[in-house]
Amino acid sequence: MKGVVFNILEEMVLEEKGMEAWNEILSRTQAASGVYTSAISYPDEELFALVGTVSDYLEIPAQSVVKAFGEYMFGALAERYPVFIERCPDLFSFLDSIDSVIHVEVNKLYQNPGLPRIRCERTAEHQLLMYYFSERKLCMLAEGLTFGAARRYGDTVEIRHRQCMHDGADQCVLEVNVVA
Amino acid sequence: MNTPADNPYKAAYERERAARLKAEQLLEDKSRELYQQNRRLEESYEQLQQQQAALVQNEKLATLGTLTAGVAHEINNPLAYVISNVSAARDYIEAYDQLVRFIQQPEVMGALPAALQEEWARLEQAQDLAFMQEDFPDVIADTQEGLDRVRDIVHSLRSFSRLQEGEREPSDLVDALKSTLRLLHNELKNRVTVELDLDPLPPVRCNLNEINQVFTNLIVNAVHAMEETARPALKLSSRADNGQAVLMFEDNGCGMDEGVLKEIFTPFYTTKPVGEGTGLGLSITWGIIQDHGGEISVDSEPGQGTRFVIRLPLMAE
Repeated sequence: MKGVVFNILEEMVLEEKGMEAWNEILSRTQAASGVYTSAISYPDEELFALVGTVSDYLEIPAQSVVKAFGEYMFGALAERYPVFIERCPDLFSFLDSIDSVIHVEVNKLYQNPGLPRIRCERTAEHQLLMYYFSERKLCMLAEGLTFGAARRYGDTVEIRHRQCMHDGADQCVLEVNVVA
Repeated sequence: MNTPADNPYKAAYERERAARLKAEQLLEDKSRELYQQNRRLEESYEQLQQQQAALVQNEKLATLGTLTAGVAHEINNPLAYVISNVSAARDYIEAYDQLVRFIQQPEVMGALPAALQEEWARLEQAQDLAFMQEDFPDVIADTQEGLDRVRDIVHSLRSFSRLQEGEREPSDLVDALKSTLRLLHNELKNRVTVELDLDPLPPVRCNLNEINQVFTNLIVNAVHAMEETARPALKLSSRADNGQAVLMFEDNGCGMDEGVLKEIFTPFYTTKPVGEGTGLGLSITWGIIQDHGGEISVDSEPGQGTRFVIRLPLMAE
């Protein structure tokens, strides 16, 4: 996982709980070095261990941490890379552009960035199916990111997991409905 | 929450963090720049390789042109008198044959003394005269056919090496293409769909016989390439571009791989079975186009089709 993801997790904890909380989380997480540079890749286990500690520390389930993190991460990424949002007029066209534009650009910068495969299909005016596949099975992160994106575009969305890799499916299918 | 004034370390941390983000941004911008420069470099490199390949090809064909011109010339001189002598030899042998047949008539033979008749019969048998009389017309016919073939090949070699400079006149290439299509009507009808997209062209100074030969070669090759194609389609187009007449011949036939593409303009290179093609068609085509100050290029994808593009200079207005 790229260092930028660790940086944003740190940012979130700092913002919500302060420096002491983050220091405490790092000291409790043996696998985590705490020093992360955005362009360097770090072992996935390190991120999962940190998420585990955050979950214990805040006493909320890990999946909820991942989802909340996703939502926060969208804001942080949008701040770093505003161009990808500016070029898309609405939420669905943005979600479409993840695979066709954003991941293409990321691949130009980094060798083997280990991106998830995300394919979108519009099934109705206000509905989109997102097919998600990654060895990391971070579908909750995708869900959180989608919530974050929706908020950015001023939409309220409901997301339903039609099928999930955690239940043994070969890919996740997220049904995204814009309700307001 | 602490304000920066309360906690100087937090203020310093914020500054450091802002600086780090800036540095990371810089790194990404540079990486993207590097990526784009690398792409441009790769493109130039590829273009250079193509130009080099074209240059090597032109050099090779020019050398072969000189070589074949020499060979054609050297063969042509003895060939001329061999053809003429074989024709004379046939007349001589026919005269001898008449003489022999005269003697073989029963009334002539009967008038000879018995000893001479016996001697004749012995000679006839010893030389197998009956076989010679029967075989000789075939031997001469085969020889003449062989010589005709040698003469045609030498003629083609001379076309490739451009020994013959024909008359050149201002001509309309679109008209020429249409007349070639009429000549090839039998080859094409009921077999190939011909799509025409022909813009009118200003005149080109050329030798129409040669240009028609170029068109014929390209069209016949395309038809052969499409023998196995379910819906064979030949697309011909013309346009004027930057002082040049540009003609395209596009088929959806079997196409060629890179190995074949490299050799197609080389004399005697053919993919057809032995005896079916001389491998001179495209060499001659290349020679004619070069000679007219033009260019011929080819794109091909195995299984997809082939496109030949000819560029010839338009006459200055």
